[in-house]
Amino acid sequence: MILAPDSATPVVAVNLWYGVGSRNETPGRTGFAHLFEHMMFQGSENVPKNRHFDLVERAGGSLNASTWFDRTNYFETLPSHFLDLALWLESDRMGFLLPAMTSEKLENQRSVVLNERSQRYDNQPYGDWDERIQALVFPPDHPYQHTVIGSREDIAAATLDDVESFFRTFYVPNNAVLTLAGDFEPEHALSRVEAWFGGIPRGAAIPPIPGRLDPGPGAGAPERVVVEAEVPLPRVILAGRIPPASDPEFWVADIATSILSDGRASRLYRRLVRERRVAKDATAYAFPLTTGRSLFVSWITGYPGADPAVLEDALAGELEALAEVDPLEVQRAVALAETRFIRQVEQLSSRADLLSMYEQLFGDAALLLEEVDRLREVTVDQVREFAATHFGRENRAILYYLPKESN
Amino acid sequence: MRAPVDRSEPPPPGPIRPFQLDPPSAEVLGNGLRIRFLARSQVPLVSGCLVLDAGETGVAPGAEGLAVLAGDALQGGTERRSGVEFAEAMERLGTAFSVSTGWDAATVTFTCLADRLDEVLLYLSEAVRLPAYPDDEVARVREQRLAAIRQRRMQPSQLADDEIDRVVFVKEHPYHRPLSGTAASVGAATPEAVRAFAKEAYVPDRGGFVLVGDLDPGEVLEKAETHFGGWSDTYPGRRALPAATGPALRRVVLVHRPGAVQSEIRIGHSAPARGAANEEAIRVANTIFGGAFTSRLNLNLREENGFTYGVRSRFALRRNGGAFTIGAATATEVTAAALREAMGELQRFHREGPTEEEVSRARDYLAGIFPLQMETTAQLASRVAETLIFDLPDDHHVQARERIRSVDLGAAAEASARHFRPDDAAVVVVGDADRIQEEIEALGLGPVERFQP
Repeated sequence: MILAPDSATPVVAVNLWYGVGSRNETPGRTGFAHLFEHMMFQGSENVPKNRHFDLVERAGGSLNASTWFDRTNYFETLPSHFLDLALWLESDRMGFLLPAMTSEKLENQRSVVLNERSQRYDNQPYGDWDERIQALVFPPDHPYQHTVIGSREDIAAATLDDVESFFRTFYVPNNAVLTLAGDFEPEHALSRVEAWFGGIPRGAAIPPIPGRLDPGPGAGAPERVVVEAEVPLPRVILAGRIPPASDPEFWVADIATSILSDGRASRLYRRLVRERRVAKDATAYAFPLTTGRSLFVSWITGYPGADPAVLEDALAGELEALAEVDPLEVQRAVALAETRFIRQVEQLSSRADLLSMYEQLFGDAALLLEEVDRLREVTVDQVREFAATHFGRENRAILYYLPKESN
Repeated sequence: MRAPVDRSEPPPPGPIRPFQLDPPSAEVLGNGLRIRFLARSQVPLVSGCLVLDAGETGVAPGAEGLAVLAGDALQGGTERRSGVEFAEAMERLGTAFSVSTGWDAATVTFTCLADRLDEVLLYLSEAVRLPAYPDDEVARVREQRLAAIRQRRMQPSQLADDEIDRVVFVKEHPYHRPLSGTAASVGAATPEAVRAFAKEAYVPDRGGFVLVGDLDPGEVLEKAETHFGGWSDTYPGRRALPAATGPALRRVVLVHRPGAVQSEIRIGHSAPARGAANEEAIRVANTIFGGAFTSRLNLNLREENGFTYGVRSRFALRRNGGAFTIGAATATEVTAAALREAMGELQRFHREGPTEEEVSRARDYLAGIFPLQMETTAQLASRVAETLIFDLPDDHHVQARERIRSVDLGAAAEASARHFRPDDAAVVVVGDADRIQEEIEALGLGPVERFQP
């Protein structure tokens, strides 16, 4: 449990991370962690359906939840005199969810989630890119091989029994981090947390993540996958494996991707978008994932009629060219990261979420305070070394999206 | 020892702590540029907004998208440095400008570390006072924008947004067309036209400058004078616009996307302009109807029926009129059912209005989230900027909470009866028309047109 008092405004952010995500799903049940997250809003023993949202909104709060590869988070920000309300709601669904679960609610949320999948993946140009990229970058027995949203078949197959066993296995105090940030008196807050959560029994040890967690460094020999689809512009995506977010090298990954794609002075914008005009847009991103290996993704979108081979060469060329770096580029990336960091912790909800993340994923919330210093310590040589090691052809999945002829 | 807790009822709130938000200080420079600033020292950041009366409604017919292009190309270089040099200079300071062009204004925003403010302002004034708009940068940005227009036409939710505007507003009014113009109008834009537009519209007169954050209030005016004082062009005046809507025409437009697994639904009609006296009553009514998770629309379409991942209604209030829109994406097979439910809710809300309980709930919600919406320097700066764009009183955003609290059942009911108008509502559905047309026609929502983009 993390307490981050700050009484500048009479607002408190309550943030709860459960150490369960799509990585914990078993074959045939992809998407279940996320479907389960929806069920957490369907009421609990003392909270009827729709009451959770109703009470927080009535209090003047905002709330939501999200499921990701390594975790599921639940959060509300509300006027600070409603702290007890948030703790009651969160503790009721942590301790007393199952009496409220019905097959009617499951059918309703299954339908909502299938619509969510349609909206974000199936009815969206390039919408299935991460499904394809994850399957290319990670081997079938790795937990990142499948997406958080899961397959339609698996979402359709989930049962009420799955809800019960998932809850008993993962939604236990020993698998959760609770962070409060904002306007409260720490001793009082601690006693309220104790009162609401203290009686919830510890669960069994969390079962190991299924699969082979460290597939090693390379993403295999380059093999182009070409998809002709209802997309407006050609796009080439290059992706590979990088060290996990818990590895010190990940700070280097942050700086390297920032040099590539953060701002208009970044390499991809400057060279490919502005000078060569080969790209309409281009980006690079290091996912902060922790299970064995993490994921690096970059893409380039071309203008109508662009030759995808030219796009691929342009992007790959920039990834490889990062083996040479100017110290000023590192300084620029650090300066941008510093401002971004302060902006993130300025907002209570995001501060609380980062504290939960550092505690849950890295075992120590206080590491957040060192984040900017760690980024400042990244050297030019480390960036060169990182690019030379991870941005080469031997660690590259290649995916082309090409507009269908009829367009 | 653990104190026993009673879980059966929600715990009562503790003592309320007041939230105090100061209005910004207001000044004006000799050239007409309005200055607003507010000191807050919780974090070492400053956020700024430069607001210019250079929105798309000011663009002449035939040149649609010119204001957006001028905004896009603003960072293409200045008389003193190239676009690349400009970006490097800014980003070395750990920040960047973003330029956003809407119907009513172009807004340049930034957030920087407080001790870098002077340098950032130097570049900001250089960008807006001495933009070079080099031919090659304008041409590049035009190609980018044309590609973005192509992307918009193939993105179902954006396509639906553009189509509902086209159906609701009359052809002669700018709101009828997409904000960033059409392939034809953008394709015809020349660097000369972009330069001429910026010269005319990027001027201090009718503009404004906002700073919020860790700053010395005694120094703001001097800084503003230093960077913007010598800037002296005047504004030629706003373009006269025709009425935004003609006689309302109920109709259904089906945009056919063969094989689509989902339908993007929009239901819309016109709404009042920004600054209406009953704006907060409209907000309260919309919160009840479709503006919150527990709204009537969302509880029906999502939590009761599972037709959609989420449905929302919103009022976009602009200087020359507004738009009311309901939006949802639904599975193809339940499109007509979802449309029927949404229209049913609209009719019921118009006819019967909200209940006392709903009004009190929505009022508490909007008053309560107020501090959350004014939390960061960037949020505050953008709220203050709105008062400049819409010529509202300096403390308009500060007083919003009191105005919300004074909305009673009568005011909310009046808003629901006047501003939720099922008989004027047009419908757009982007989806597989072959599979949904018959059922939609059977709903009797007006004549059905269909086309394939």
